[in-house]
Amino acid sequence: MQAVSRFLAIFWVVVLSWSVVSQAALAQTLTLETTPVQSIQPYLDRVIDRVTEFKLDNGLKFIVLERHEAPVVSFLTYANVGGADEPDKKTGVAHFLEHLAFKGTTRIGTENYQAEKPLLDRLDQLAEQLQKDTEKTTRDRLQKEFDQTEASAGKLARQNEFGRIVEQAGGVGLNANTSSEATRYFYSFPSNKLELWMSLESERFLEPVFREFYKEKAVILEERRLRTENSPIGQMIEVFLDAAFKVHPYRRPVIGYDQDIRNLTRPDVQQFFDTHYTPNNLTIAIVGDVNPVEVERLAQTYFGRYHAQPKPPEVTAIEPPQTQTRAVTLKLNSQPWYLEGYHRPQLSHPDSVVYEAIASLLSDGRTSRLYKSLVEEKQVALTAQGFNGFPGDKYPTLIMFYALTAPGKSVDDVSTALRLEIERLKTEPVSAQELDRVKTQARAGLLRSLDSNSGMAESLLEYEIKTGSWRNLFKQVDAIAAITPADIQRVSQATFTSQNRTIGRILPQEIKP
Amino acid sequence: MKSNDRKQQIARIITLVFTFIVVPLVILLLTLLLPASAETAKHYTDLKLAPAPEVKVPNYSRFQLKNGMVVYLMEDHELPLVSGTALIRTGDRFESANQVGLAGLTGAVMRSGGTQKHSPDQLNQRLEQRAASIETGIGATSGSAGFSALSEDLSEVFSLFAEVIQQPAFAPEKFNLAKLQTQGGIARRNDDPNGIVGREFQKLIYGGESPYARVVEYATIENISRDDLIRFYQHYFRPSNLLLGIVGDFDSQTMRSQIESKFGTWNPTTTASNSDLPKVSQAKQSGIFFVDQPQLTQSYIQMGHLGGQLNSPDYPALSVMNEVLSGFGGRLFNEIRSRQGLAYSVYASWSPQFDFPGVFAAGGQTRSDATVPFIKSVLSELEKIRTQPVETRELAFAKDSVLNSFIFNFQDPSQTLSRLLRYEYFGYPKDFIFQYRKAIEATSIADVQRVAKTYLQPNKIVTLVVGNQKAIQPNLASLGQPVTAIDITIPQPT
Repeated sequence: MQAVSRFLAIFWVVVLSWSVVSQAALAQTLTLETTPVQSIQPYLDRVIDRVTEFKLDNGLKFIVLERHEAPVVSFLTYANVGGADEPDKKTGVAHFLEHLAFKGTTRIGTENYQAEKPLLDRLDQLAEQLQKDTEKTTRDRLQKEFDQTEASAGKLARQNEFGRIVEQAGGVGLNANTSSEATRYFYSFPSNKLELWMSLESERFLEPVFREFYKEKAVILEERRLRTENSPIGQMIEVFLDAAFKVHPYRRPVIGYDQDIRNLTRPDVQQFFDTHYTPNNLTIAIVGDVNPVEVERLAQTYFGRYHAQPKPPEVTAIEPPQTQTRAVTLKLNSQPWYLEGYHRPQLSHPDSVVYEAIASLLSDGRTSRLYKSLVEEKQVALTAQGFNGFPGDKYPTLIMFYALTAPGKSVDDVSTALRLEIERLKTEPVSAQELDRVKTQARAGLLRSLDSNSGMAESLLEYEIKTGSWRNLFKQVDAIAAITPADIQRVSQATFTSQNRTIGRILPQEIKP
Repeated sequence: MKSNDRKQQIARIITLVFTFIVVPLVILLLTLLLPASAETAKHYTDLKLAPAPEVKVPNYSRFQLKNGMVVYLMEDHELPLVSGTALIRTGDRFESANQVGLAGLTGAVMRSGGTQKHSPDQLNQRLEQRAASIETGIGATSGSAGFSALSEDLSEVFSLFAEVIQQPAFAPEKFNLAKLQTQGGIARRNDDPNGIVGREFQKLIYGGESPYARVVEYATIENISRDDLIRFYQHYFRPSNLLLGIVGDFDSQTMRSQIESKFGTWNPTTTASNSDLPKVSQAKQSGIFFVDQPQLTQSYIQMGHLGGQLNSPDYPALSVMNEVLSGFGGRLFNEIRSRQGLAYSVYASWSPQFDFPGVFAAGGQTRSDATVPFIKSVLSELEKIRTQPVETRELAFAKDSVLNSFIFNFQDPSQTLSRLLRYEYFGYPKDFIFQYRKAIEATSIADVQRVAKTYLQPNKIVTLVVGNQKAIQPNLASLGQPVTAIDITIPQPT
């Protein structure tokens, strides 16, 4: 129901900051140095042994992790499509579709689909005419018919019936989110409801009906106001990405531009669905108290109903190398923020884990360099952190830094102190102790994530889709363990240059008397 | 010929293989596949599901040290991890009005300021080098201290945890840093409209001077010295005021002797005294309150009145009412979001507290020109639930949602542990959650109507709007109640 807003995405990406690994990097790590916490490995191996995977004939893939600690199961349907896949002038369609995927099917969410369908079709015709026709009396007549038809269709709809079925059956955490490259639908059930999930989720994408489209458009415009227009950091991120990317669709907001959202039609959504929600573009993770043999049998029965289709098109745009510093400044009703971003390669690049180590070194905990320097010693910032994979990590992306100024300090003070720490990475090798800490924290972080069914469903899919195998979730800690001080220095020297930098500043607006 | 012979031989082998291996295999495969292919997908209404899984409460032990400290231990060997939480009988509701922020600073600097044996840097280094953490804090109704460690580091980390609780050093430079951070927070508190609405609504309900609503100011921070932190700490942090719960991969017997050794000799000399809870009554009885934020395109709305406590016998019925009103497919979501398209988020909830009256609050965000229609729609839903019985299917939806998802309260042993600690802290029975379930099962349509009528009081509703005055058309006065402007200018340090 919610787009992963740009503001939240900052923190969301931080949460997943160890979720980035490349196969090439993994291949290099066959001989491992001993880390201080190898005792964790048997627990990771045990989890790996409990994962099974299978693919239906239509191309839909399942990953199943058995966890029998409690009689509950988490489900996650991952559509490998997001904002970056949208056609020009149709921004927001991926997220709009995510909202409409809660509106039901030909059998769920309706009193009588046969009676409802012609009304929904008529609404689309009227909306199209209303967009074209500018003559006032015609418009008034069309609008009147539109309102009446919408009211009649509304009477045949059963609002949010899909969600009500899930909740009444004991489902929790029902939601979805859309990013620049993924759309995820998720909830959890008690373990006796496996087949209920199979039935509901397969029907949801087998015969969806995108009803209540025009009211939902108003809801999404409210969401845009909430997340972007009325949030200082939301506004900043929209202009920041627009500056940092000139060609790649990462430059566009996932929720969509206001005018694009207004112009979207139901056929636009249907076409986007038909193109991208093909079985070979969907992957499902099921984590919890299940029997994988039963999962496969039921998956065959329920999701085997989908017809195989051609692979959807992929994003081909390539962002050209940046040649000079770019900067955006907004004067807003807010205290100052400072942001700095540098282009870095996509996640399939061997250096991806090195960027992760850099972010951790600078940002994780009270011993991290930015906290110690900017927050504790110089006291120029209240918070200062870096993180990777913004706005995504499927394509070449950014490593980002942000800081909130301390009282009496300016964004320039923050920028100077931040730059000093970034320069140090280029000139001094990191100490063995610091690097050890980063490696231990990576391994322990993975261990701590294992006790959440929904968290594991998400992590397994991130790795499956973006690195080609869920196994890389577990191999990443070995790749991180193999990083040397020279790797950090090499990557920092190549990345942290003035040509490759985009700066964002939020400055307080002068208060008008 | 030889070759012919061989061909015949091969043919014979193929026949044999086919007859005795391939055909049986095919038959075997068919029998394996047939049940699956014979099975057909069912609509959800046609499914027969196994009975719901039983709730299993994890085993635990509880004991008390001679010095009065209460301990809960719960073993969980799934992963090589251990975590602990201590609740301390204190809270910022006990700090004096001219020192608002004292409890929060004490809770923060207790950890950031290091211990008498380990400087802040040493403490941070020792913990983070092991991917471990210790955190402390003081909120409105309790203090807390927690740790998390790999089980191989347990004794080292637990020892540091005991130091942080018993021998914090309150290093002066960390006290100054915490003050600076608090001042930074004050300066930024009006940057986010959600922050404004949350803060100002509490003031309208409890009163600006109430410990449950007042906020830290530059002036109150200036009144706080490092000695005040030490005194506040000494007043509340003592074994008889502390409940400790530990969950994870440890042996209870070993853990118990470790606790005895690290906490058993803790006998601070300061005298104990328990503070009375602050009195609560609703501050503003009705009316509309407005914060003008001309840069906004939406109004941030919260409306409601004083609520009740979690241990009220009527809470289960009120929580069924919450389900009918809010959540996915609740009345507000269906009507105001899906039917009218007025908001992305809209809610109404009776939100009780453990030991003082909570609030009933409804609200959401809507575009400026829809402010008045939004408020009217929420009010009309509240009126409806007060005056008309809920439908049978709504009652079933609400009760089933709570009961069928009840198992999720027992997903992880740490959930049970943290409930046990909270129940003991606030003097609730340890099976409170099961009593709640039983009461939900027994709730009828008449119960929901009775509590809605008794507890929702439209004439006591205070409405707060943070928005753009010029763009709110029709204006707030059209709601027929006095509109009072609230000035949120931050008082500057003197």
